[in-house]
This record gives sequence, structure tokens and C-alpha cells, in this order.
Amino acid sequence: MATPRHLLLLLALALAPLLAVAAAEGAAEEGPRGRRLLVLLDDLAVRSSHSAFFGSLQARGFDLDFRLADDPKLSLHRYGQYLYDGLVLFAPSTPRFGGSVDQNAVLEFIDAGHDMILAADSSASDLIRGIATECGVDFDEDPEAMVVDHINYAVTDVDGDHTLIAGDDLIQSDVILGSKKIEAPVLFRGIGHAVNPSNNLVLKVLSASPSAYSANPKTKLASPPSLTGSAISLVSVMQARNNARVLVSGSLDLFSNRFLKSGVQKAGSKKRYERAGNEQFVTETSKWVFHERGHLKAVNVKHHKVGETNEPGMYRINDDLEYSVEIYEWSGTSWKPYVADDVQLQFFMMSPYVLKTMSTDKKGLYSISFKVPDVYGVFQFKVEYQRLGYTGLSFTKQIPVRPYRHNEYERFITSAYPYYTASFSSMGAFFIFSFVYLYHK
Amino acid sequence: MAGRRPSPAALLILLVAAAFAPISTAVRPVSDAHRSAAAELFAPSADGSFGDLERTYEAVRTFQILGLEKYKSETGKACKFAAEKLASPTSSAAKDLFHAARISGALGCSVDAGVYDGVVARLKAVIKDTNSLLEFYYSVGGLLSIKEQGHNVVLSDAESTFHAIKALSQSDGRWRYDTDSAESSTFAAGIALEALAGVVSLADAEVDPSMVGVVKNDIVKLFDTIKSYDDGTFYFDEKHVDATEYKGPITTSASVVRGVTSFATVASGKLNIPGEKILGLAKFFLGIGLPGSAKDCFNQIESLSFLENNRVFIPLILSLPSKVFSLTSKDQLKVEVTTVFRSAAPPLKVNLVQVLGSDSKVITSENKELQFDLDNNVHYLDIAPLKIDVGKYSLVFEISLQEPEHETVYSTGGRNTENVFITGLIKVDKAEIGISDNDAGTMESVQKLDLLKDTKVSLSANHLQKLRLSFQLTTPLGHTFKPHQVFLKLKHESNVEHLFVVPGSARQFKLVLDFLGLVEKFYYLSGRYDLELAVGDAAMENSFLRPLGHLELDLPEAPEKAPKPPAQAVDPFSKFGPKAEISHIFRAPEKRPPKELSLAFTGLTLLPFIGFLIGLMRLGVNLKNFPSLPGPAAFASLFHSGIGAVLLLYVLFWLKLDLFTTLKYLGFLGIFLVFVGHRTLSYLSSVSTKQKTA
Repeated sequence: MATPRHLLLLLALALAPLLAVAAAEGAAEEGPRGRRLLVLLDDLAVRSSHSAFFGSLQARGFDLDFRLADDPKLSLHRYGQYLYDGLVLFAPSTPRFGGSVDQNAVLEFIDAGHDMILAADSSASDLIRGIATECGVDFDEDPEAMVVDHINYAVTDVDGDHTLIAGDDLIQSDVILGSKKIEAPVLFRGIGHAVNPSNNLVLKVLSASPSAYSANPKTKLASPPSLTGSAISLVSVMQARNNARVLVSGSLDLFSNRFLKSGVQKAGSKKRYERAGNEQFVTETSKWVFHERGHLKAVNVKHHKVGETNEPGMYRINDDLEYSVEIYEWSGTSWKPYVADDVQLQFFMMSPYVLKTMSTDKKGLYSISFKVPDVYGVFQFKVEYQRLGYTGLSFTKQIPVRPYRHNEYERFITSAYPYYTASFSSMGAFFIFSFVYLYHK
Repeated sequence: MAGRRPSPAALLILLVAAAFAPISTAVRPVSDAHRSAAAELFAPSADGSFGDLERTYEAVRTFQILGLEKYKSETGKACKFAAEKLASPTSSAAKDLFHAARISGALGCSVDAGVYDGVVARLKAVIKDTNSLLEFYYSVGGLLSIKEQGHNVVLSDAESTFHAIKALSQSDGRWRYDTDSAESSTFAAGIALEALAGVVSLADAEVDPSMVGVVKNDIVKLFDTIKSYDDGTFYFDEKHVDATEYKGPITTSASVVRGVTSFATVASGKLNIPGEKILGLAKFFLGIGLPGSAKDCFNQIESLSFLENNRVFIPLILSLPSKVFSLTSKDQLKVEVTTVFRSAAPPLKVNLVQVLGSDSKVITSENKELQFDLDNNVHYLDIAPLKIDVGKYSLVFEISLQEPEHETVYSTGGRNTENVFITGLIKVDKAEIGISDNDAGTMESVQKLDLLKDTKVSLSANHLQKLRLSFQLTTPLGHTFKPHQVFLKLKHESNVEHLFVVPGSARQFKLVLDFLGLVEKFYYLSGRYDLELAVGDAAMENSFLRPLGHLELDLPEAPEKAPKPPAQAVDPFSKFGPKAEISHIFRAPEKRPPKELSLAFTGLTLLPFIGFLIGLMRLGVNLKNFPSLPGPAAFASLFHSGIGAVLLLYVLFWLKLDLFTTLKYLGFLGIFLVFVGHRTLSYLSSVSTKQKTA
């Protein structure tokens, strides 16, 4: 009886990995980021006044943990593990965080590859300004300043000081703002910022119009304001080199139910929109920030000689080879094939010897075939894909290239035939001569 | 909450309002926007249900208050849902019965009297046994709802129930949830008051008036803990903010409003609560604007409906449909005074008593009564006779009720301050631009500008000259207007910008740019500068940003230590995008002669061999010396076939073999050849020696 039982056990052990694979395929696909968000507020009332925005996050499967920014039990990590995957910092006026969190903790959180949405308003504290500065965004230093625009303001019945901006200068990027165009202007009331020109990781998503300026609307202007015109950024995003994404908005109201639900009419325009562009804007940008869009992964990197399928350990100069890679984009629920026509491969040794755009089958597979250069050495297949709004792809594969072996050169060269015939005819003559010389009488 | 920031409502209000001493509010009565927001927040799910019982009730009740008729179609489902819960003997939780009874009440569902008898008995049993406030609340509320639907419900031991609930009250007007808990809460106070009001209306006999008086006192004490913003908004919030049990100011205030107004309805006599606090609560709920969650929406709308018609004070809201008045289109100053649900107020007068300027300076304190337009229910006043120029103003209104007995019913808040903007078209004229020499100060090239349309002046100057720009701005009433934004922007070709505020004097705006003092600031950048003038103000209807033309500036060469112009932002798109393709250039193959030539020379190289063969023929070659003896003949044949094999090996070496195999075979063949060669040659030499000696 013992033997069959053992056999069954062995069979079960052998099948276990297969079953595990099947189970993994059945489960929902794993995204690039976790779904735990910490929402820091300086007033719990923001939870209800901005509930539509939080609701849209929760509807997309995020697990929101609302905390007061000065909660003494606040902590971002425990036992070396981060407790959250993202941060929503809606606490513009908080002078310092509670618990073990401070400016450095927030920056380390981002350095560890986590994402953040930061919203400030005219009450922005030094702490919030400091975090923004570290993210490459400098808020107007005048604490009383707001963005004022006397030409491109939103017409309302209750407000006449033109600080409610109807912003429509959006970045042209489908990956950040979604493929559907935001038709209605985005309402904004808050402080402006400038992006550091030397920082090429920061992008202006919503810029002010040329007639805007950042100043205190209640006092007379004695000196020119430090921020004017389209240099003012209203909302900016930053994608760090580790693909951590940060959105900085100078307006907390931008995310509020009031702005999300209200209509908008831009001054001087007859057209009135039933809904401001805010809802679409905050939904789409938050999708981007929390890696529900624009996150790429590359799998199945393969290369082989033309006509073969096995990956060789080495190529010879002048070989024809094929290289292929599959690239997928995370859509929030699943990995979808990434379709583009500008993925490039480099065949690289100190500098690229070959740099070519790969062709795609529109289903995520990118491939290229080319001839190995007639230079031998240790080469790399290198894909460096950096596109606006997408996470960077950078992967290399090392491959040596050898010269011809001694017997791989050409043997029968027509122009050498006179030499060959000369030597062979003299050999033949020698053979005949040996008879004649020895046996002639 | 007290030490923290104001609630969102007030926050928005604060942002909207300018820093005038009395901060205005954006309070407007409930409008259609609320109806569409409610319809959106309480949208039924795919199967037509609203979720659990509580949520269904909230949806149904909100629609009922707002009069959203189109959701009547959903009532059948909700009625069935409620009836199931009521009839099911297992769902004995008072909470479920309470919500189900209220759904039936709100929708007017027909429920069997027998079912209600069972429910009443169950709820009465709960009241007898419990000491928890919530259980009291649910069961009393359930009974009250059944009674309101025309069923005969009498609470026989009302007095003792009243005492049991009252026993949970605290000295500061707040309540505990049950006898065991030490924490008291404002939210619980609202619930308790509503339950007490329910007990009073369910009682068979009148409840002891002294007890009612004690509760009234509690309510007054509760109102002492009310919190406020400095704009006259009042709200309730818990004293201790515990993040887990914390309900937020909206829910807490709604609970108190429900409790107090319900109690005021059943209690005899008037509650001693100041009208301004009731008005402040109404302003708080209206100040939320459009709520974001279904819960907030329900609390807001239901609280307002209680405030709309209550026995304490009915708040009257003064609101301005628009706060921006244009002198150009001769807008009228319109004021609405309505209840929170926009129903007409009793006869009253609205007076404009004071107009304050932006610096709180009194512009006029002439008392002006606003006309009343009965059709539109609007009080109005023409602005023109007020002789107010463009700008920001605070208007102080006073509401006076015409009938004195209304004073105890309605709360108007007395004086109301509203911030308004008066806008108008600003006349721009006498605009001139020109270049003058430094010393003389005489304008050399003055050009008149029309700032109402785009102009394209082209000027040129060197660092010893000055740019002069002047223009005048006048308001519709003929005063000099000083806008907030008067900027002249000079933009160099390399995108370096310089901004100058154009200073305004009493008569005109005049800017003189002395380039000699500005060369450093301009980073010694010569070349073309685009000129742009921006004039804008909140009160200016024709704010403009106008390109004026350009200026060719000739500045001296930069000295070595001159500051470098700041880095300009680069277009983000230029950093991304595909790189230029690189293909490897392969080494070119060596040049070879044409095939024909090679073949011709191959033929030529064969000629000597053929000549050699012919020569041998001519000479008459014979092989007579070949050994005739079999032994030497065999060796000679082997020797020659050996040579032949070596030559063949060479051919093979050319055709396919490599050097190493060839050398290997050659080694064997060589040894063989030496051996047979030696035998053959020694035989041949011995033969020839014999011949010679013979």
C-alpha cells in the first residue's frame, strides 16, 4: 500500500508548480504600484469638501488612509517597510507633520520610488514650500501672492477679483492627460510657481496665460512681480529618475467638489461649459501620478541569427541577427501592448555602432534585424526609451563579437587563379620532369 | 476643530472674500444645482436599488424634500425593499425597522396594519429593555414614523422612557450614548433631543412640563458650545476629535438641528435660542455649496428643510444673485431675501445703509430703500444714482420686517454686509511712445499709439538714449484710474524678459527707461526687443495685453565680469523623442581585376607547361631506363606515386584541407618518400656506376 501512496505524493509534488502557475494566471494582474495611499489633511473637513476626488480614487481601487497632518502617530514606514505606496498631501498650511514624518521623510519616501500629489494654496507653509522646492518647483515667495489674470479669468457671479483662473494652456501629452481632450477650462485659484529651468524632470502641465501675474490682489504693486505670464506654472509634474511621480498644484481648490462640479465660462468667451475641466483633469493626472498610465515594462528580450531560433553566446562580425522585445503598458487593470513607432535599439560598444528604430507588430512586439558591424569586441544590445510622461525603459544585454576564424575566409578568388595554375602547372611539370630525368636514356 | 483651520465651506468663503473687515459669504439658497447634484450622488445602481436601508432612506428623503419627481419611478422597488424588512421576523434590529418604517412613510407605501402591529410590539419591547441612546432613538423614531402614517401608536409608559433618555444627558447639554460610556457627544445630543421629541408626540398623556423645561434648558446649554467663524456662520462639532468616531461638523450640526427643531415643534412655548445662531446654522449648511458625498447631501438638505419651517426662528437669507455690477450695461443692484429653500419671505424692507470703499472708508451712508419687484421676488436699486465709481465696495444692507409679530418668527440677522465689484470700461488715451536723447530730453521720434488695437511701432535706441511711454486712463465718471496691473514687458530674442511697472501719477502713467542705467540689468544683450503692455484690473472691463511693436537696442559689448543671462527653460518635447539613426559603415571590399582578365592570365600561365610538354615530345623522351627488375620497378613506382600523392595533397590543401591536416599527411608521405626514394635512387646510381665501370 505504501508504494502507490508515495507515487501519488510525488505526482502531486511534480504538478504543484504547474497548478501554482495556473492560479497566478487566473488572479488579477499585478500592477506596478500598490494601492495604499496616505492622505494627509490639515482639516478633516477637506475629506468631505474634496470627496469627489477621493471617491474617484477609491472607485479605482485605492485604499485611502485619511490622517491629520499633525497626527502624533503618523508614520510612513514601520520595521523598514513603507506602509503606503503613495501620498496625497492636502495639508497646505501645516507647519510640521506629526509623528516621525518630516520633510526629509517625505523626500525619502519619494526617493524610494513612491508617488505624491501635493496641493498648496495661499496659506502654504514653509514645510510645503520646502517639499515643493525639492521637487523642482518654486512657489512664489510672497506669502500673500495669488495668481491673478485680468483677461483669462472665469466669470462668476460672486467673485470679481479675477483670481479664479480659467486655465486652458495644458501640456500636449496624451499619457499625462488621457487621450480624451479636456475641452472645458480648468478652474484654478491659488498660488503660482515657477519650474526650475535647470531641472529637466519637471514639466508644466497647466500653465498660466501670458496676461497672468502672481501678486497680492489687495495691495498696490510697487515692484514688478517675480512671476508673470506663461512662465507661471499652475500645475506641474515631476518624474524622478527612479520613476517616482509627483504632482504639484498651487491650488487645493482645484481638487474640490465645488470646482469639480461647477460650470465655467471664460471671460470674453460666449461659450459656457456645464462642467469645468477639473474633474477630468484631476482624474487623469491622478491616474498618471499613481502609475495607472504611462508605466512601461519590457519582457522577452530575444536575439538570434537570422534563420535560427537559439540565442548564441557570441556573434561573428558581419552576421545577420534579429532582436526582439515585448513592451507593455499598465492600463490600471492589466498590461496592454504598448504601441509606438519610435522604440530604438542601439548596438553599443563605447558608442553606438548601430542605432535603429525597431518595427512593431502593433501588439507590443518590437523587432529589428541588422548586420553585425565588422568590428569585434564586447558589444551591448541597449534600449534607452525615454518619452514624455512615460516611465523610462533602459535595459542592456552584453554580447561578444568575434572576427573570422582562419578557415572562414574566401578560398577561391578568381583573380588568384593565375597564381594557382602557375604553381600547379609547375608541380605537374616537376612530376613529369622527375620521370624524364631519372629514366630517359 | 477649534484650533484648526476653518471648514471647507468657510475656507472657500474666505478665499472668495477679500480682506474687508466684515467678510462676505457666498451663501445662496438651495437651487437647481443642488437637485442635479443630489440626483447624481444618489444615482441608483444598475438594479435600481440605492444600497442598504439607511442609504435608501437618505435617497428617498432627499428626493422628497427637493421634489425630484422623476425618482417616483424608483419607489416601487424601495417600498418592496422596506416592506420585506418590516415583515421579516428575523430583522429585529431596531435600526432596520426604523429605516424601513421611514422609507415607507416618505414614499407613502401601503403596509398591512398587521405588519405594523408586529413592528410596534417589537419596537416597544426594545424600548423597555434598552439603556442605549441609539436603540431608544431608532425605536422611538420607528414608532413615530408608523404613527405619522396613520397607524394608531401610543407609548403608554412615555414618562419613564423620557426619564430613561434624559438620564443620559450631561451637565453641558451633551449626551452619552449609554449609561456605561463616559464620553459625551454633541452628535448624541441631537439624537437624544429627536428621540425625546418623538416620546412627547407618542405619549398618551402630556409629559411633565417641568421635564420639558429642563430639556429646554439643556438645549440652551448645548447652544453655548456652538462654534463660529467670524463671518456669522455657526456650526456644531465634537469637543474631542477622535479620528475613528469623529463624524465631522456637517453630520454633528445636522443631528443637532434635527433634534432641536423636532423638540421645538412638540414642546410648548418658545426655545430661548438667539435667532442669529439659527441663521448662522442655515448659513453653514448653505455655505457647503454643492456637497460631495451622499451623506453630506442628505444632512445638508434635511437640516435645511427642518430650518425652513421651524418654531424657533425661520432664517431669512439675504443674497445677491450677482456680485459684479457693470456700469457699462447699467446693471441693477439686486438683492434676494428668501428662506433657505428660496420661498418668498414675509413682507419686508431692504435698505442700503452704507457703502464702504476698499480701504473701509465710508463712501456714502445715505439710507436708500430698495424697490421690491413682486413678480421676481427681488429687491432692486439702480446703481447710477449712487455715483459710485468702478472698484471694490462693501455694501451694508439692513432688513426690517414690516410686521412686528414676524420678529419672533423670522431671523434676518439685521445688518448684512456684501462685497461687490463695480466694473466699467476704462478710457485709454493720449498714449505716446518715443526715444529721447539723454541730455536734451527732447523727444526725437514721438509716435502716437492707439492702445485699443494692436500697433506695430519700430524704434531703435542705443544705451545713451531713453525710452518714454505715457498714457492716460480715466474711469466712466472721469477720474484717473489706477489699475492693479500696468506692466511694460521687454522681451529679447533669446527669451530674456524684463518687466517694468509703469508708475502712475495723478494725471497720467509715464515710464522712462534710461538704458544707460539698465545695461547691466539687460545683460548687455543688444538686438531686437518686443514691447508688450499689459493693463488690467478687477474693475476694468477692457483689460488688455497688447504688443506695441519692437525696439532695436544697441548696447555696448559686455565686459568680462558682466552677469550672464539666466538659463531659459527648454521645450520639454525637445528632450524626448527618437534619436537620429546610426548605421555602421562596413569596410569596403578590396578592388579586384575583372574575371575575364584573371581567366586570360590563368590561360597564359598554362602556356609554359604546354611548351614544356611539346619540348619533351620534340626531344623524343623515352623511359628506357625504368628498372626492369620487379623489386626496383615496384620501388620506383611507389616513389613516383608518392611524389604524385604529395602533389595531390597540395591540391587538396588548396581545395579543402587546412594547414595542420596537410602537414600531418605530408609528414607520413615524407618518411615514405625518403625511404622509397633512397631505394630507387641508390638502385639507379648503382646501375649507372655498373655501366660506367663496364
